[in-house]
Amino acid sequence: MGLTLDIPLHVKYIQSLGENKDDLVYHLTAHLRMNAIYWGLTALCVMKQKDALNRDEMIEFVMSCWDDEAGAFGAHPDHDAHLLSTLSAIQVLTMQDALERVDIPRVVKYILSLQQSSGVFAGDAYGEVDTRFLCCAVLALSLLGRLHELDVEKTVGYIRRCRNFDGGFGAREGAESHAAQVFVCVAALAVLDRLDEIDQDSLGWWLAERQLPNGGLNGRPEKLEDVCYSFWVLSAMSILNKIPWINAKKLTAFILSAQDLEHGGIADRPGDQPDVFHTNFGVAGLSLLGYPGLDDLDPVYCMPASLIESKGLRKGWTALPRRELA
Amino acid sequence: MSDLLADDPEWADVVPISQYENVNPIAPIFYSEECPYAPNKDATDYFRAVVKTGEMSPRVLKLTETIIQMNPAHYTAWQHRYKTLIALRSDLEEELRLMDDIAKQFMKTYQVWHHRRLLLTAINSVDVAALELEFLRDVLEVDTKNYHTWSYRQWILAHFNNEARLWARERAYAEALLDADVRNNSAWHHRFFVVFASGVRLGDEDREQVRKRELAYVKEQIAVAPNNASAWNYLRGVLETTKTPFEELTSFVEPYTASQRPAPSEEVVDLDNPLPTEKAELPCVAALEFMADAYEKRGGDAVPKAVEIWKLLANEKDTMRKNGPRMNELNNTK
Repeated sequence: MGLTLDIPLHVKYIQSLGENKDDLVYHLTAHLRMNAIYWGLTALCVMKQKDALNRDEMIEFVMSCWDDEAGAFGAHPDHDAHLLSTLSAIQVLTMQDALERVDIPRVVKYILSLQQSSGVFAGDAYGEVDTRFLCCAVLALSLLGRLHELDVEKTVGYIRRCRNFDGGFGAREGAESHAAQVFVCVAALAVLDRLDEIDQDSLGWWLAERQLPNGGLNGRPEKLEDVCYSFWVLSAMSILNKIPWINAKKLTAFILSAQDLEHGGIADRPGDQPDVFHTNFGVAGLSLLGYPGLDDLDPVYCMPASLIESKGLRKGWTALPRRELA
Repeated sequence: MSDLLADDPEWADVVPISQYENVNPIAPIFYSEECPYAPNKDATDYFRAVVKTGEMSPRVLKLTETIIQMNPAHYTAWQHRYKTLIALRSDLEEELRLMDDIAKQFMKTYQVWHHRRLLLTAINSVDVAALELEFLRDVLEVDTKNYHTWSYRQWILAHFNNEARLWARERAYAEALLDADVRNNSAWHHRFFVVFASGVRLGDEDREQVRKRELAYVKEQIAVAPNNASAWNYLRGVLETTKTPFEELTSFVEPYTASQRPAPSEEVVDLDNPLPTEKAELPCVAALEFMADAYEKRGGDAVPKAVEIWKLLANEKDTMRKNGPRMNELNNTK
């Protein structure tokens, strides 16, 4: 007899976010507000409670983050456009069936303008580069139906150069393998139909070795477990069709033990403070593990699987079969 | 005495812009003086105003510094700060020093490191790069595995690419960190980066000598602490990069697959194949995996030996991953 996922409680938790706009933490996290909305909405969709947040208000907020100078979305009104928030905005509008609100040609121009000669993408005009941004660009272009405008060879070439001796991928060429960076590279390669660039057995094994005796997953050898790796690692393994290589029962138990069963939400590990980021990735991980009562999630986009499939974007990944509700 | 810019005569000419001026607020916000983030709101309201007017002045530098201190992830504030520094032709080395404490305080924030990268690029000096590498040693002392710091270090080395001044002491640095913590995956990665993944180091022109040296090094570290995934990943990486067959390592690895060290009377000193030290926990799972892979590569009647090991791992030594890649082979031999 173990813990179960308290869906109603987590839905209330997500609904309550942003209610206390006087809160210092709310104010200090303005730079990731768009991401937070995406995490909240995705978690609700997976828990089959999409309507728990007001659709119109959400769409208006997303549109209020439009940076007309850059032609893309910032994290918050008056924040400069950035790839991270632009992807989140596109994901939210897609899930809310409001993509027609987007000036697609301008956004595509913005995204493509951020690719550098090495093939990597900058996050914004400020120039920080990271394979995360490469993934954001690929996913965003794909969701906008404009993937054909991308220089695929150049993009794949950069990912290839980020491959390390242990089979993993880092944030930049020369950087250490890290599970989150592995996910972004694998997801991008999946969208581009270039999973052949990966030594799938080696990488699958490196990912499987992220599982610790307590069932949780870490991001690199000898680091602590964290619920968010339940998604980064699991989704990569799902894309490589190797989820069975990890112990699903122990991972499920670990994620469930990180719930805050008093206030709702999921934390990075048991006993810590929950937040919407870990709530989303915990629920996403559970979905990929076949947890009963949840909706299917597409691991490449971290969005509802049925939606991605309806857009003709589904790739050949496998999740564990959905278990029946007791 | 108020710290708010609203009460500062130096800012009297600026009209602050409140957060929801151009947006229909979902819920109206009333800020009281006791509001815990009044200073932050005050600063960001004035920041919004100067971004709009495009002001780039010393007081803007002060303002962005205030915001960054309160909220180091405020990427727009960093951007505007950098633009202002360039516009004012500020002393960028002085800026680096000014930002040292912020880097140490907020080392898990992407922006602090990107700012420094922009500064190093603009300053474009190997001397400054060398100083920066020293500074990073201090940072890494606090958090030896900080991902941002390490990838920034790797960027500095690759970007300036100066053998004598920058690359020369890196292998020794990685080694010192591994002496302190042999399980530091970042240090192992850095060693591989320096030795094998960024061109040939001065003094490393004899690649066969490098191969021998690296194999000897990783074997020593495995002997000290066999249950260390990083070391085994490093070993496999060296074998693949140098095209060394697994077979060459089997005499070394085999003792690590036993349940205990050989008895002292049986022990033959072989400097090329250090035995597990006293404290080692045996058998070592990674050693078992290695031997199994070696048997599999040997082929023929060595394959059943591989299967035996996989069964042992699946049933006993590494049950967590019992549904791993070998499952098909195990099922086929039932």
